[in-house]
Amino acid sequence: MSRATAPVPPAPVTAAQSVIAEPVGPTLPLHELAPEAALRRLELTIVRRLEGYLQGEHLGLLPGPGSDLNEAREYVPGQDDVRRMDWSVTARTTIPHVRDMVADRELEVWALLDVTPSMNWGTGGVTKRDLGIAAIATIGFLSQQVGDRFGGLIMRPSGLRQIPARSGRMALYGLLRSMLTEPIVPDETHGRMDLPQGIDQMTRLQRRRGLRLVVSDFLTPGDIELDPQVEPVWERPLRRLAVRNQVICVETIDRHEVDFPDVGEILIRDPETSFERYVNTSDDDARVRMNAAAAAQRERIRVALRRAGCAHIQLRTDRDWVQDIARFVLSYRRLAGSLHQPPRGVGR
Amino acid sequence: MTLLALSWPDFLSPGRLWVLFVPLLLLGLYLVLLRRKSKQGMRYTNTSILQAVVPAQSQWLRHVTVGLVLLSLVFLAFAWARPLGRDEVPRERATVVIILDCSYSMEATDVSPSRFDVAKTEAGHFLDALPDGFNVAVVEMSGNSSLILPPTEDRNAARRAINGAETAPSTDVAGALDAARQAIEMAPQGEDGERVPAMVILLSDASGTTAPTSPKQAAGQLANLGVPIYPIVFGTDYGYVDIANDEGQTQRYPVAPDHAFFEDLASITDGQSYNADNASQAQKAYDAIESDVGYVEVDREITAWTAGIAAIFAAVAAVGAVMLGTRWR
Repeated sequence: MSRATAPVPPAPVTAAQSVIAEPVGPTLPLHELAPEAALRRLELTIVRRLEGYLQGEHLGLLPGPGSDLNEAREYVPGQDDVRRMDWSVTARTTIPHVRDMVADRELEVWALLDVTPSMNWGTGGVTKRDLGIAAIATIGFLSQQVGDRFGGLIMRPSGLRQIPARSGRMALYGLLRSMLTEPIVPDETHGRMDLPQGIDQMTRLQRRRGLRLVVSDFLTPGDIELDPQVEPVWERPLRRLAVRNQVICVETIDRHEVDFPDVGEILIRDPETSFERYVNTSDDDARVRMNAAAAAQRERIRVALRRAGCAHIQLRTDRDWVQDIARFVLSYRRLAGSLHQPPRGVGR
Repeated sequence: MTLLALSWPDFLSPGRLWVLFVPLLLLGLYLVLLRRKSKQGMRYTNTSILQAVVPAQSQWLRHVTVGLVLLSLVFLAFAWARPLGRDEVPRERATVVIILDCSYSMEATDVSPSRFDVAKTEAGHFLDALPDGFNVAVVEMSGNSSLILPPTEDRNAARRAINGAETAPSTDVAGALDAARQAIEMAPQGEDGERVPAMVILLSDASGTTAPTSPKQAAGQLANLGVPIYPIVFGTDYGYVDIANDEGQTQRYPVAPDHAFFEDLASITDGQSYNADNASQAQKAYDAIESDVGYVEVDREITAWTAGIAAIFAAVAAVGAVMLGTRWR
């Protein structure tokens, strides 16, 4: 098995500045999001082993003219085209049979990108927001089939911005470019839109079944709950989304969100809320407690996503996302079937 | 001594107070930097967990320490400008004129044993308490007020003069005040050639019956000399006295004290009037007068005190600085 070996993009200076103030622009250029050459290799490398899921056939709900064979049925004179006759089955059964075709349905992928101020943060070379865009780029290139369409929803605190679904590589590049150039949301912007609402909106807006990507850090301001048995606010909307769609959640985290930094006594501000507090980050006990709490918080997110029947990719700003996504896709081949069990009463 | 906190002190070198701008400047700088620092700081996304896990550190210690340092600087600046405090020092010399009312009304027994006896006894105690350097003169106030003892340091003579006083008809307050003025002018002058301070103690119960000149006019003359009058008014509102008339019959007269009149006298001369319904009140009045007449207020430099307060503030601020430096919280 050959591993994906996309080069780690060089860290632009601006990413680390997000610790001090909100970034002024994207920390990744477009061509480094999903470098074409590397991705083409990745497609070749992974696609062969992945025949099935993302690149394979997409079963349609209704039969119709298409290129894939479905099942044989008896020939009805005058209705069926004799050219569709399945001679093998006719010979074995001595009854004329025709072979039905399954309609090729194009896959429609929609990606929801959370661009709230907490995503404008990252210490590992890219901000979480740009890491999310890179994840969308990578998965977008992986799921590029003729006719497959890719659309985007950008979740700002003021509302959702919709980028229409189009097919083709250039359309995907256009989508990524408009995500990268989307203006940075200033700190402490208050609006009615949050992650649960954004997911609900996506469920309502896109009625066609398909694949849905939710890219966020899944942090809820003011939520101090650590018990995995307690549902986060976004779990129920996610479950609703997963009733008719296959949902992949991309959780973007930073190294220093799970490993509290030791930077002495410092004023810590929240990008989204008015929280301001002096914290002695050199206090070892506090750091240990903080790391334990952060680990519990991530575990709760993982459990909640699993409960909602969503696939879960965790990407870190200090790691190579292409490699991580490749590893996910490999294991996903085995897991997808059991993971995305539809609720009782809903067709597959 | 008056505390600095009660009033803005006078300074011997007020020009040096310009150094006060240093703590003021530092205070302004502190506030500005505090405000600016709140704009800086580290952005961090996971603060909801941070809030729950890391308790808030109280900021009062650093504010208190800075405040104490600044206060210490302010008091050091004060100390450099040599502040003046008020201090009471005992008078070296003074003339005290005791006017003893010898009218019949003083025989009233509403103050036990009688107004006259209480006045005499308490005047005796007062004499004992006066500092040695004081001159005492005694004026007998009746229809014919007269100076019965010119100013002298001889306490025994004064005691004898007071004890030997007898009651006589009528009251002439104006005459008594004139006699007191004469006694004060008679008193020996101080070493520097200036007239020694003087005060009049008026032991009485009622305003005059015969008055060639107005008592208030006489009091005004005393006020011009800067002599305060301290009336001690004896008696209660229900006092009476029985006087035998020419026909051998006793006649009862009400002799209520005239408080308003004596308060007027006191206020004209910048003195203070006291009421004495009984012996212990008379004692209290004497004590109050003694602290007024026996001591004089002078300005005194209190640089050491101010520097000491600054040192205390600095010491407490140093404790705070040590606590901050060692992160002892």
